[in-house]
Amino acid sequence: MATTACFIIVSRNDIPIYEAEVGVAAKREDAAQLHQFILHAALDVVQDLAWTTSAMYLKSVDRFNELVVSVYVTAGHTRLMLLHDSRNDDGIKSFFQEVHELYIKTLLNPLYLPGSRITSSHFDTKVRALARKYL
Amino acid sequence: MEPEVSIEGSSMIQVAVIPIGTLPPNILRDYYSMLLPLHTIPLSSIRSFYTQHHKSPFSHQPWDSGSLRFKFVLAGAPPSPWDDFQSHRKTLAVIGILHCPSSPDLDHVMDLFSASCKPYNSSLVHRCFAFCPNDSQLEEGGKKEGNLRLFPPADRTTLEFHLNTMMQELAAYLLMEFEKWVLQAESSGTIIKTPLDSQASLSSEEVIKAKKRRLGRAQKTIGDFCLLAGSPVDANAHYSTALELARLTADYFWYAGALEGSVCALLIDRMGQKDSVLEEEVRYRYNSVILNYKKSQDNAQRVSPITFELEATLKLARYLCRRELAKEVVELLTTAADGARSLIDASDKLILYIEIARLYGSLGYQRKAAFFSRQVAQLYLQEENRLAAISAMQVLAMTTKAYHVQSRSSISDNSLHNKGIGSFNADSGKISHQSAVPLFESQWSTLQMVVLREILLSAVRAGDPLTAWSAAARLLRSYYPLITPAGQNGLANALSNSAERLPPGTRCADPALPFIRLHSFPLHPIQMDIVKRNPAREDWWVGSAPSGPFIYTPFSKGEPNNIKKRELIWIVGEPVQVLVELANPCGFDLRVDSIYLSVHSGNFDAFPVSVSLLPNSSKVITLSGIPTSVGPVTIPGCIVHCFGVITEHLFREVDNLLLGAAQGLVLSDPFRCCGSPKLKNVSVPNISVVPSLPLLVSRVVGGDAAIVLYEGEIRDVWISLANAGTVPIEQAHISLSGKNQDSVISYSCETLKSRLPLKPGAEVTFPVTLKAWQVGLVDADTGAGKTFSGSNMRRSKDGSSPSLLIHYAGPLKSSGDPPTDGSTVPPGRRLVVPLQICVLQGLSFVKAQLLSMEFPANVGENLPKLDGINNAFNDGLVDSETKMDRLVKIDPFRGSWGLRFLELELSNPTDVAFEIDVSVKLENSSSEDNQFSDQDATEYGYPKTRIDRDCSSRVLVPLEHFKLPVLDDSFFMKDTRADGIGGGRNASFSEKNTKAELNACIKNLISRIKVQWHSGRNSSGELNIKDAIQAALQTSVMDVLLPDPLTFGFRLVRNGFESEKPDPEKESKNVESPAASKGSVLAHEMTPMEVLVRNNTKDMIKMSLNITCRDVAGENCVDGTKATVLWTGVLSDITMEIPPLQQIKHSFCLHFLVPGEYTLVAAAVIDNASDILRARARTSSAAEPIFCRGPPYHVRVLGTA
Repeated sequence: MATTACFIIVSRNDIPIYEAEVGVAAKREDAAQLHQFILHAALDVVQDLAWTTSAMYLKSVDRFNELVVSVYVTAGHTRLMLLHDSRNDDGIKSFFQEVHELYIKTLLNPLYLPGSRITSSHFDTKVRALARKYL
Repeated sequence: MEPEVSIEGSSMIQVAVIPIGTLPPNILRDYYSMLLPLHTIPLSSIRSFYTQHHKSPFSHQPWDSGSLRFKFVLAGAPPSPWDDFQSHRKTLAVIGILHCPSSPDLDHVMDLFSASCKPYNSSLVHRCFAFCPNDSQLEEGGKKEGNLRLFPPADRTTLEFHLNTMMQELAAYLLMEFEKWVLQAESSGTIIKTPLDSQASLSSEEVIKAKKRRLGRAQKTIGDFCLLAGSPVDANAHYSTALELARLTADYFWYAGALEGSVCALLIDRMGQKDSVLEEEVRYRYNSVILNYKKSQDNAQRVSPITFELEATLKLARYLCRRELAKEVVELLTTAADGARSLIDASDKLILYIEIARLYGSLGYQRKAAFFSRQVAQLYLQEENRLAAISAMQVLAMTTKAYHVQSRSSISDNSLHNKGIGSFNADSGKISHQSAVPLFESQWSTLQMVVLREILLSAVRAGDPLTAWSAAARLLRSYYPLITPAGQNGLANALSNSAERLPPGTRCADPALPFIRLHSFPLHPIQMDIVKRNPAREDWWVGSAPSGPFIYTPFSKGEPNNIKKRELIWIVGEPVQVLVELANPCGFDLRVDSIYLSVHSGNFDAFPVSVSLLPNSSKVITLSGIPTSVGPVTIPGCIVHCFGVITEHLFREVDNLLLGAAQGLVLSDPFRCCGSPKLKNVSVPNISVVPSLPLLVSRVVGGDAAIVLYEGEIRDVWISLANAGTVPIEQAHISLSGKNQDSVISYSCETLKSRLPLKPGAEVTFPVTLKAWQVGLVDADTGAGKTFSGSNMRRSKDGSSPSLLIHYAGPLKSSGDPPTDGSTVPPGRRLVVPLQICVLQGLSFVKAQLLSMEFPANVGENLPKLDGINNAFNDGLVDSETKMDRLVKIDPFRGSWGLRFLELELSNPTDVAFEIDVSVKLENSSSEDNQFSDQDATEYGYPKTRIDRDCSSRVLVPLEHFKLPVLDDSFFMKDTRADGIGGGRNASFSEKNTKAELNACIKNLISRIKVQWHSGRNSSGELNIKDAIQAALQTSVMDVLLPDPLTFGFRLVRNGFESEKPDPEKESKNVESPAASKGSVLAHEMTPMEVLVRNNTKDMIKMSLNITCRDVAGENCVDGTKATVLWTGVLSDITMEIPPLQQIKHSFCLHFLVPGEYTLVAAAVIDNASDILRARARTSSAAEPIFCRGPPYHVRVLGTA
């Protein structure tokens, strides 16, 4: 499992709707903030890159120091972004695919308003389990 | 590293610009700004200053098209060990700037200048530009030779022209110096070193290597100077040589440098052209440059030329920086950013990040730019000094847009307006998800909080209290749910501390707390309601107010509760109120020093109030103000003075916030978390201010408290109206509205009208007569409740009182105003005077019943007068004036004395005593009783009945004149023919028909009965028991009202003629002296008697009559063995026929053997009875004989004394 990994789902309106620190490294607040800053900055790159390929998984799109940003863009332009320091490309891809499925299940919930924050604890548990499995 | 590097930078001559002597910063900035445009001096323009001393080494100098480029560095740059490597890094010229008025002593200043030039040992030219010299200085300076250049005072264009000339001179001088230097370098061959070489100089091998490399390096440096001299072709030639030599000697670093120079020469040569071939060439060569720089640092050296590699990367990135090549640029910049870790010098890192941020910014990657800007700010903040903090603050301020945390002051009005339009769309109609989302786009709260916190920190360090306040306010307002109470307290302290250092009355664009939303616009108090006036109509108020009971009409567009279209009218000079709700969702006590409505239209004086809010609380407060002039008023928000700073809070922003909260886009709803109920979106209606109107104020004389009335009470209330406005009232009209309008019996509209026009301050008082209604009969027992009709059930609730509506208006044209347009008439007003009637339960009605009594008549000499109803029965107390006597009446159609009472049972559940006064008003009716002497509209009062508290009592209401004269088939037969229904069912139908007729009769009777009550000194009223009486009468009406078909009467026959012509005198005698054996009979005497039978129907009646006589014990004393009465004549089975409405006499004689009381009864069996009779007798079958029995007659038989 990766030492540092920050997973965020960004809605099509650039609002983070889910965020989780899934790395095993000790949680530090300023580090977590930096992670989010990096991910936020990477949105600029994703914005251009997403239209150049038909694949949903964009691989690593950006990096800052050792931290790499991998992105998966859904058809609805929701972006699953992972900041990580490991180079486990296949694992990340599987992770994204499974989280995408989870996200679709959330969307199917009639009580969930698309674009609003995902507050389901079930979703959170599942995502963390997937992170342990793949990252 | 140097900031703002570019490929073309290699061709720029670095000039240090240094202030000499004392020079105020703004003046320095002014002079510097004049210098800056002169960064390019065309070669053609310097010809006049140029003198060729020897053959120029720049053989391909483009004198026509070329130019010299300058880079001005304010205050100069310190010399760096890498200066020799790239000549454009050297400071080649120094320009001193002197402001003569502040430094009068020119000699001293020149000494200062030479001292300042000392550190720039590579500079070839020194010039001191002295501005604004006075005459003596001009004179003195004119004598001086050397570097001083005086600029006599002149306007700016002249100065700029002068400066341009001086720069051309400087450029020409520099060019000549370059030529000199190149010639010298070519001949002598200087040794050029970089820090990379200094370590290696020890080993002899390296020295030999250096000698080999020297030639190439010299060629490269000459190339640099060629570039600076504006001759790219010469430069290129030298660079080619240098490249060749450097490649041979494996001098990678210098190879890269020469390559860089050659690219610059290429670009200068092809100035203005930009094609893909050239671009490809540049990209190729620069990649090679970067590669060679990288190669050069392979050898483990203490000094790393990584900055050159990074600079080269940035140069290429800047060259390629276009949207189409974004991917490539991002790649380059990412690589550059990676290089930051290898940088040792903090300022190098700073410059690198700044450059990266700039490039990302120009690429359009705002978030990337913001990210690196924040890195820059963090580096600045690490320095921990005030200047660095100021820089950090400024850099962070640039990132706020990308992070969507801008201060409102930095957002242009235009964009605010656009957002406003969006919110208006959201207001109207159904709020769609899509329309709300853009308002909250890119709300990345974690980042926003961090950025704001850093701005706050840097602003505090930089000593900028306003920025600190603004940042803390934004942080607190937007992210309070994410901040711990301790943190919230800290922010509150930061706000207060910042405010302490601000001058009082400072305004800030960013609001802090509290959250303010519009609660409601209270409608005009009912006293001040405004009504549009229709001048064309007499009743000008009609149609202006929403009429009808329907709140919703299907014809109105949009939502029924959409009040946006509502127009609000305010009046000049009359205070208005607006309710706003404040919320403090934070964990500290919030003290709002003052809050008032923010009105931009300028015709409104708002009154400030101060509020304090407890933690996590909300409060609805009333803000008031006075409109000052006519025109529209817009209220976008409130001005709040809180935490020492004045801010404007816009309602629209809070509305948007709440909208976002409702959709889960914003963290929390500040009002809901304070426990405030959800409120509809209230939008500001269109408010217009109209000129002064009259203002009526009402007052109930004797206190405005509720008027307490008992049920049925009648009372006059005086209402006083005063004109509290400044305009006279010219029109007024009173009408009623509300529930229970019938409780207002009368009001005097004329009193008010007669006083018009009512001048300001005038007062008028008029009476209103009220009659209390029934309190709801909820408590009445169910049986009674059913009998009383349901319509009578009135629920007594609050707001059941009626109101007086007074419409009034001022003059049609206000005198003060110029007659602008005749179409607009100042509106009128409506005053609602609620008559607050509180009806207490008074006497309560329990039940009513009809009592009927019959007294047997005595057999006298004459029959009871059929129409002499006035006769008294009670012979002892004959007093025709005694009212009691009138109660007992002979029933002319029955023959006996009948007495009928309506018994009303009343109870008094109240705590006061009531006196009941029953009166029957007699009208001049068409009944047969019109002989009655005093019947015309007289009222008969009866003794008062007093009912004490908690007691109940029965009141007897005597009923008289109650029988119908004729048993007429019209009662029964009226509708049968029309209905065509057979006679068998006539009876039931006819009864129904009769009832309608009878009801009218009963009603007539009932209306004459008045039950009035008095209580205390001034309470009086009337019991409304009409329904109750009617119900009581209804049941027994048939028996009571209809006469029997036959009337029987007995009388004594003294003389044969007496009966034939009744003597009035005798009659009166009888009346006067009743003791004279009226109706008394002696025993043992033949007593001739007559029975009179009267037919009350309109048909001939055939019957058989029987007469019986009974004694006191009820025994028949005519028949049987023990008969005590002897008789002559026929007493039984007397068959007779009576024509309609006639009477028949039948004579007989009785002989009483025993004195005592006897009763004579006549009875008849009617043969061949008609349907009417059957119906009256309620027989079921036609075969059943109809039996008719007269009332008993008493006979007193006296013994022979």
